[in-house]
Amino acid sequence: TANERPRYRAEESSGRSYRPDCRTPNPFLIQFCIHPGDVVEFHGLEGTGKTETLYHLITRCIMPVQSGGLEVAVVFVDTDYHFDMLRLVSVLEGRLAEGSKEGDGSENESEERVRSCLCRLSVVHCNSSVQLLLTLQYLENTFSSQPSLCLLIIDSISSFYWVDRFNGGESTVCQEANLRKCAELLDRLRRNYGIVIFATTHAIMRNYASDPGVSEVPGSSSSSSSRRWRSADSTTDFDKPYLCKAWQRIVTHRMLFTKSHVSKDHKQVFSTACTSIMTKGVKRCLFHVMEDGIKFACDK
Amino acid sequence: MVILREGVCPGINEEFIKALQSEDIKTGVALVAVRRVLLAQYTAFPVSGADLYEELLSSTAILSTGNPSLDKLLDSGLYTGEITELAGSPGSGKSQVCFSVAVNISHQLKQTVFYIDTKGGMCANRLLQMLQSKTPNMEEQMEALQKIKVLRVFDVFSLLACLQNLRSNGLQKASVGGGSVKALMVDSVSAVLSSMLGGKQNEGMSLLMQVAGELKMIAKDFNIAVLVTNHVTKDGNGHLKAGLGQSWSHAPRTRVLLQRIEGAETSSLRTATLTKSSRQACHLVEGFDLCHWSEERRTSISGKRKLEERSKP
Repeated sequence: TANERPRYRAEESSGRSYRPDCRTPNPFLIQFCIHPGDVVEFHGLEGTGKTETLYHLITRCIMPVQSGGLEVAVVFVDTDYHFDMLRLVSVLEGRLAEGSKEGDGSENESEERVRSCLCRLSVVHCNSSVQLLLTLQYLENTFSSQPSLCLLIIDSISSFYWVDRFNGGESTVCQEANLRKCAELLDRLRRNYGIVIFATTHAIMRNYASDPGVSEVPGSSSSSSSRRWRSADSTTDFDKPYLCKAWQRIVTHRMLFTKSHVSKDHKQVFSTACTSIMTKGVKRCLFHVMEDGIKFACDK
Repeated sequence: MVILREGVCPGINEEFIKALQSEDIKTGVALVAVRRVLLAQYTAFPVSGADLYEELLSSTAILSTGNPSLDKLLDSGLYTGEITELAGSPGSGKSQVCFSVAVNISHQLKQTVFYIDTKGGMCANRLLQMLQSKTPNMEEQMEALQKIKVLRVFDVFSLLACLQNLRSNGLQKASVGGGSVKALMVDSVSAVLSSMLGGKQNEGMSLLMQVAGELKMIAKDFNIAVLVTNHVTKDGNGHLKAGLGQSWSHAPRTRVLLQRIEGAETSSLRTATLTKSSRQACHLVEGFDLCHWSEERRTSISGKRKLEERSKP
């Protein structure tokens, strides 16, 4: 129920901190079996709802328990100045208004509530992969000192792909060095602190299996180990994993976002298909993007 | 206290120790201190969401384009802190729209506009013509023209250099002189980038991402509305879509497709379709006339602060 306090879950080994289990009451995470310590990759073309889903998750986490939230802190790493605070606030206001139906008097009060929710969110801007690496190292201190931090979001982790690839010259190892170190750091963070990590990656590589025509992919690609993530659903041909192996190794869930169809009342339906290393098969979910956030229309 | 010696940990060899000693760093504690200083200098610091929101509320402004239909499409106008993209085939009127918006911002809103011209299509006479139709007063016209600063670049490296210059001192200098810079236009960004893309070149993609990064940083740090123009290509189904590919598509927050009206190729009527927006439903279409830019119509004002006609300071 919405009034339950979040359950605290101890980690398996000694010496680790208690973190709020951010699955309750977050039906989105429960449905896709996402546990603390998981790394979820949101993959999709531009305009397919990845960032909207992140805003949905953030509002769920930072809202007070009375409104159906978790009151936990979130760190948002923004690598391409993509973060739209005004949009997040309109989603938050919509959710808060829903949560308290009695019509809470003054505008000041609702602004206060929004502000107190926003205090649980920290936003960091990085503009190069080196800065991302250094920032993650700095954040390790923050994670160890703040036990209420249980969600780390990186939007998006693929922004520096082309710049790194060019700067690395001919050697794939050099090109991927920064991202590899980031992936190792993230692995350490999730193991030691039991946080959930969400990262979005832009779909910029065409999957050769479907269309050998015009594409954006220059010659050889450094991600031949995509076998692990061969999607069972090949209706989209932009789902090729292209980031380095170190990153692909730590991802536990991969969610593919696509624009699905236009429903009868002219609303664009978005779909997400989740594959995970722990379960077989693909779990799907449909949603609309409304004025005040995401409305799910899930099947199964 | 650990004295630094060769072999005390991986990565520390003789030369490294000598280099450290020349800077007077002999112990492990000092090395940790150096690390702390480096982290402090180069790391990005987290900002609390509440502070970020406060800052945004007080600094975001919406610049009206002067055309009510376009304003309706863009949810009141160009937002500062974001990149808005205008895509269209040759002759669809992208440059004309840029001129009209620039004239509106410099004349109605009295703000400075930077116009980066990569195609050589910027024509001061045309701007003057537009101003003359708005006001017969010569002084006003000249003042408005002075607020439009034109920069000409013809390849991507000069574009990057120009943007970096603007970011480091150009924009501040311009705002010291009394006007504040509120808009930056790049017409067109695909003219300099599309020749670099394709084939096995990594450099083209890297430059594209760098240009996108610079534009976004300028938009965010200086609270400027950035308007760029792009060419169009046809996708698999024969429909028009904006050029420069998937990687660029993430850069603009709002994308508008400009088209001529079918069957009326010689008229000045155009349709604008919203293809990407975080505020409105996509595929909204509005029609307008390039020659009659500011028709008298009431437009709705959304909740945020809107820059309206300001009286002379």
